[in-house]
Amino acid sequence: MLALRTRGLSKTFKVKRKEPGLGGSLRSLFRPQWETKPAVRGIDLDVEQGETVAFLGPNGAGKSTTIKMLTGILHPSSGEAEVLGLSPWRQRAELAYRIGAVFGQKSQLWYHLPPVDTFELIGRVYEMRRDEYARRSRELIERFELGPYLHTPVRKLSLGERMRCEIAAVFLHRPQLLFLDEPTIGLDVVVKQRIRELIRERNRSEETTVFLTSHDAGDVEELCSRVVVIHHGGLLLDEPVERMKRDVLNRKTINVTLADPVSDAALALPDGARVVRAEGRTLTVAVDLRRTAIEQVLATWIGRVRLEDITVEDPPLEETIKHIYGMRQETEAGA
Amino acid sequence: MTGWRFVLRAASGRKAEAVARLTVQQQLAYKTDFLLRSSFLLLILFVFVQLWTAAYGGDSAKVISGFTMKEIIWYLVFTESLTMAAPPLTAKVEEEVKSGDIAVRLIRPMSYLGYHYSAFLSEAAFRCAVHLLVGSAVAWSFVGAPDFGFGWPGFMALSLGALTVAFLLNASVALCAFWVEETAGLQFVLQKLQFTIGGMLLPVDLMPGWLQRVCAWLPFQAALYLPARAAVHYDGAMLLRFAAVQIGWIAVLGALVAFMYRRGVRKLYVNGG
Repeated sequence: MLALRTRGLSKTFKVKRKEPGLGGSLRSLFRPQWETKPAVRGIDLDVEQGETVAFLGPNGAGKSTTIKMLTGILHPSSGEAEVLGLSPWRQRAELAYRIGAVFGQKSQLWYHLPPVDTFELIGRVYEMRRDEYARRSRELIERFELGPYLHTPVRKLSLGERMRCEIAAVFLHRPQLLFLDEPTIGLDVVVKQRIRELIRERNRSEETTVFLTSHDAGDVEELCSRVVVIHHGGLLLDEPVERMKRDVLNRKTINVTLADPVSDAALALPDGARVVRAEGRTLTVAVDLRRTAIEQVLATWIGRVRLEDITVEDPPLEETIKHIYGMRQETEAGA
Repeated sequence: MTGWRFVLRAASGRKAEAVARLTVQQQLAYKTDFLLRSSFLLLILFVFVQLWTAAYGGDSAKVISGFTMKEIIWYLVFTESLTMAAPPLTAKVEEEVKSGDIAVRLIRPMSYLGYHYSAFLSEAAFRCAVHLLVGSAVAWSFVGAPDFGFGWPGFMALSLGALTVAFLLNASVALCAFWVEETAGLQFVLQKLQFTIGGMLLPVDLMPGWLQRVCAWLPFQAALYLPARAAVHYDGAMLLRFAAVQIGWIAVLGALVAFMYRRGVRKLYVNGG
């Protein structure tokens, strides 16, 4: 069963153009010039119930505009969309009971009050029965380990604690489809990991469809089974995450701090690994995972060099998307 | 009324009540703001007591346009309590549009205007009660105890309509944020109209005849003058007439605000990602 279906979904905005300086401001006051800016261009998308989809794209690609159309906040300029069988902008209120959304750093929690008060409000707004609300909130508080700060005003919580509350709050009314717009932004590794686990758990136990945007490759790899990339408002790629990992997310960067200055022993690397930077005691190595594994690179160092610190990083997702875009253009030019 | 409509209305009522409760709880966190506003009210009333004492030549028996000095001072307590109680709705909506936080409101199964109305009414009622206490202390000590009898319940009854009219007036300006970037100028004009021809500074009865006739055709007096006048000069028939005026304006402004919202939400550009 389809959770979401769009055909030719487009949105254009009218943006005022102004020349620089005071003269430009005055001219704009009397003879304003408008320009039409396409934000989303004819997106066709089908998402099955229970799927976890990463919806990616660089800043300004049209991700948030698409999500806002799918949640009924924005009206499209043309095209159609059906979310859980409803038209989002025509049946926004009806749809609202069945979906949930976390918009990046926009908080739904009341700043001066403890999270438990917002939970209570959400229970009322979604018309949950009192016994159902009590059971559900108890379950989520336990699973998300919110007990210690449930009664602390939101302004006194750390970002990680607050985000856990935000995500628990969005699950309260058992949404069938969840839109997550940058749910792990600004969080440290440990909190990110915990939040991903909790979302994955809800997806599995309740078959919640997840539609996620993120700039973090970790979110995509660990949470999603399918990836959809948009660029300049149009669809660029739609494929399983596994294939994307194989074809595109196949590079890692290893940053090493050695106990001694970089020696030949540290530079002797297996095929598929190359030195990007070697300076003093620090070494940066790019690894092509299709040709070698991280463990193999580490194995060449063990016992031969003294290591002080190691970090393994994904290339920034922006870079990956540019890479896909470049590949796509090359393919089109070749054809 | 069919069954499902009744259920729908009851559910909306419960949502509104939940928003109202949280708004008051949140207000209790703003202690400093409360203290500042209340002290400012003390100052304003003190200045006006001095002004009116001079205007009446200190004669407590003197009557100007049907008002004794005591009635004028208590009238001011009522209008100031209502005016200073109104939350900054325009700034809130403008900020929601500018920051994109409006997205969080619009994905909820609750009317956007209904949400703001519940929050506005509960905050204003709470603040108004505190202001009345503070204002009464000043008026009582300078011009004596109030002896308005049914004026108090009259004021309470018309205050609900007054705050609703104030909400709708502010909402009609606030919703302009869906089209224009700045609403502060419009809000400034609205506030000054309420201060003057709305009867906040002095009762409409003290204005020139032609201005009184103009005021009678405008909604501003329904938000301040009518409840304050009903408090100090209570009369059952007048109360009903005032209530009818408020209901009329609520219908007109309600239709305007609903129309603006329906048009605006289609044009809305939600900022922030």
